[in-house]
Amino acid sequence: MNNDNKIKGKDLINIGIYAAIYCVIMTCIAMLGYIPIMMPLLAVFCPLIGGIPMMLFYTKTKKFGMITIMSVIIGIYLWVTGMGIYPAIFGVVFGFLADLVAKSGGYKSFAKTVLSYGVMCLMIFGNYLPLFIDREGYFASREKFGQEYVDTLGGIMQNWMIPVLIIASFVFGVLGALLGKALLKKHFIKAGIV
Amino acid sequence: MGRSILQASVTDRGLVLDPRTKILLLLNMAIFVLGSAGGGRVQALTPLFCAMPAVLLLSAKKWRTAITYIILFSVSYVGYAVFGDITTGFLHYFLLSCCGILARFLPSIMMGGYLVSTTTVSEFTAAMLKMKLSEKIIIPLSVMFRFFPTVFDEAASINAAMKMRGIHLGGKNAGKILEYRIVPLMTCCVKIGEELSAAALTRGLGGEVRRTNICNIGFKVQDFIFITVSIVPYVLWILDIVGI
Repeated sequence: MNNDNKIKGKDLINIGIYAAIYCVIMTCIAMLGYIPIMMPLLAVFCPLIGGIPMMLFYTKTKKFGMITIMSVIIGIYLWVTGMGIYPAIFGVVFGFLADLVAKSGGYKSFAKTVLSYGVMCLMIFGNYLPLFIDREGYFASREKFGQEYVDTLGGIMQNWMIPVLIIASFVFGVLGALLGKALLKKHFIKAGIV
Repeated sequence: MGRSILQASVTDRGLVLDPRTKILLLLNMAIFVLGSAGGGRVQALTPLFCAMPAVLLLSAKKWRTAITYIILFSVSYVGYAVFGDITTGFLHYFLLSCCGILARFLPSIMMGGYLVSTTTVSEFTAAMLKMKLSEKIIIPLSVMFRFFPTVFDEAASINAAMKMRGIHLGGKNAGKILEYRIVPLMTCCVKIGEELSAAALTRGLGGEVRRTNICNIGFKVQDFIFITVSIVPYVLWILDIVGI
């Protein structure tokens, strides 16, 4: 590994900044999850809107490992904010995969970047995992939100939702990346940020 | 506004805990209060955990925040018990879920707020270094740690500015919320971030040599007390699994 490919202080600071933006946006969206119908839709909105900061982040990413670190940090953040340990594990796995995808495109290829963000978004599914693995335990912990909440959410979150959620995370990740790219063109390049 | 609440000041802060203790407490919060892990006996302890942020905030001389927290939490806790019996239908659902959600999330939010507002970035970094974490994780985390207040601050200002232009939920330009909020937010944050990274680089962050740190962190009596308390649920949990 030569010196240009090593992750330096500036890259790490960039990761921190974009992770902070991403987490704030995600927190704002996740607040909607307390309306039961919105819960599965989080797999739509998080990737879609998160695509905007992430695409900006991808323009700063030229080195292997940055996307992995980013998703690990997002995973840790989700863990601390009460989503369970799975997002952190998913963060490591899918962040690494996303990194590999982006690397294969040399961090420049448009298609590979979009695909890479789609892969990274699969991590969102980690949030739902406790709901399917330990259904009773999950709803027992949500009892405080009221019986109606539990019933409605239980009605929506059947087992057939698993593939739907995974596919939705990926597809909307790709769409989010496209949206991010479009906004990048419209605003950020003009403003001289990229 | 957010800055004055969330930014740590070094002077006049009462009881000082080691950042590692604070991180442990925050994790406990996430696992046992938010995550509801550990079964019956541990869950019986949750009121104790919920009281912890209040004690900590008081010990750190954050009177206003502490009192707001105590009032809000007790109202939602009591409200949950009272409204559950006397209301029905939609009102029942609405009140219950409001109180339930508040009672569940407030303690952790307060604990996070306590961690951020009483720890300087240097102390945080020093603690992480002592935990022998890789610099690749420490730097982004501490930048994020420093950056959260800024992002919230900017978001609030942009919020206000856009509200004036009718770009808010229920306003006449509600459809533009996404673009007109996120784009300026990111532009601001990226600009601030660039300055931040220039400042950090001049201080030698990410250099080849190991950085030194003058922050005097270490476990003291108060840390041991809090650590002992936070180990209790794990012990109970293990006892539960073993079957005693």
